[in-house]
Amino acid sequence: MSQPTLDTEGHAAPPRRNGEIVFEAPWQSRAFGLTMSLCEAGAIAWSDFRARLIDEIGRFDAANPVLPEAGAEPAPYAYWDHWLAALEGLITERGLCSAEDLAGRVGAYAERPHGHDH
Amino acid sequence: MDGTHDLGGKPGFGPVVRGGDAERTFVADWQRRVFGLVGLGLSTLANTDAFRHAIERLPAETYRAGYWTRWLAALQLLVDEDDASVRRTASTARRDLDRRPRFAVGNAVRTQADGVPGHTRLPGYARGRRGQIVRHQGAWVFPDTNAHGDGEQPQHLYTVAFSARELFGEDADAHARVSLDLFEPYLSKEDG
Amino acid sequence: MSDAALRAEALEALLTERGIVTREAIDAVVSHYEQDVGPMNGARVVARAWCDADYRARLLADGTAAIAELGFTGPTEGECIVVVPNGPRVHNVVVCTLCSCYPWPVLGLPPAWYKSPEYRARVVREPRDVLAEMGLELDPNVEIRVWDSSAEVRYLVLPERPPGTEALSEDDLAALVSRDAMIGVARAGEPAS
Repeated sequence: MSQPTLDTEGHAAPPRRNGEIVFEAPWQSRAFGLTMSLCEAGAIAWSDFRARLIDEIGRFDAANPVLPEAGAEPAPYAYWDHWLAALEGLITERGLCSAEDLAGRVGAYAERPHGHDH
Repeated sequence: MDGTHDLGGKPGFGPVVRGGDAERTFVADWQRRVFGLVGLGLSTLANTDAFRHAIERLPAETYRAGYWTRWLAALQLLVDEDDASVRRTASTARRDLDRRPRFAVGNAVRTQADGVPGHTRLPGYARGRRGQIVRHQGAWVFPDTNAHGDGEQPQHLYTVAFSARELFGEDADAHARVSLDLFEPYLSKEDG
Repeated sequence: MSDAALRAEALEALLTERGIVTREAIDAVVSHYEQDVGPMNGARVVARAWCDADYRARLLADGTAAIAELGFTGPTEGECIVVVPNGPRVHNVVVCTLCSCYPWPVLGLPPAWYKSPEYRARVVREPRDVLAEMGLELDPNVEIRVWDSSAEVRYLVLPERPPGTEALSEDDLAALVSRDAMIGVARAGEPAS
């Protein structure tokens, strides 16, 4: 199993400040930790994940030119959204969890009463 | 010992290169592995002082080949030598010492003028210079003996401040000083 | 809660319930990358010292102990840490001319430039010029104190608190403290290069 090695430059590299990875919300660090743990457990391969991440970002880039047309707002670039999408894709492809199960759980969590703070 | 590693004050160097790889610790995965290997090696193979001395003993061209290259070469040297006398004995270097410190904060001291053939932590630019004790840092394993398998021989350690002009002459900055942490055997008392 | 947050939580729950990964393993990875490595440790120390005068006094009297109060310890390159404060008339900068000693528990591992022959050779002899080249112009009357880490003592620079930051929280202040400011080649509050 190849040891996960985070890119530090280029498209697949996570945002860093002061050399450290920057998480702007707790879910981002959880998604990151989940990915790394799945690699360490051998459930997914880092190289597969990385390839999917590059694909996700590539698709976004292709759909959103660096210089938007006059009057158009530049599309917000959200690295961790791409990360999460890549992870979901790989997990469902590997059969670790079906897309239906995931959608069901997301729906159930969305129904929770306000004030739930986890 | 005099060598390529003793860089302080050496002339001929240009601007510090910043940005890109210069901001990073590792630029390739093998460097990360060297870091891990040295960590592992130093827990069994040799003490930190012997490791630093192994780096100092590398050929100049190997030393200049880059930081992680010299770590790897030094580790290889220690593996080849496999010298039981420099094995690590403890994870820390601070020691208790019954002997009282010879110097007090505020004392004027002069560093030894001569270089030594083996490992030392007195840089060349600070030899034979007059400074002032600013802090007693306790007693520590003496690198000059520990690196060579001659025992820990703990010594008192002092932070000693020097004016830039004392170290580098009258052209140096009048409003700069350099402090070093120096072991008691490097120092002798000065009057005034 | 955002859609992404819900999806991340759902994924984690499903995979831990199935025993594919454990919550503890994920916690360990996150804390390693988020907290255990890098200059954010030092930045928290500096921000605390800016906000709490008692902590600042303890930090300057015994850096190792005050840094350990925040949970940052380690015999490797951190057995004895001395904190040196910048002020209006004094600026501190740290180097290791003989090798590359650096306060790992608070700053992580050093960047390549800190280990370069250029920095190690020149910052002791011509610190004002080197700092200016690195983007830090100091008034000629400001005294520069260079700390050459020649034994096992490690140095951390306590930068000056930037003006106009009185209303900021400790967390927000920590975000202003760069690795470079704690080595002494930049001021706090300047964008990291």
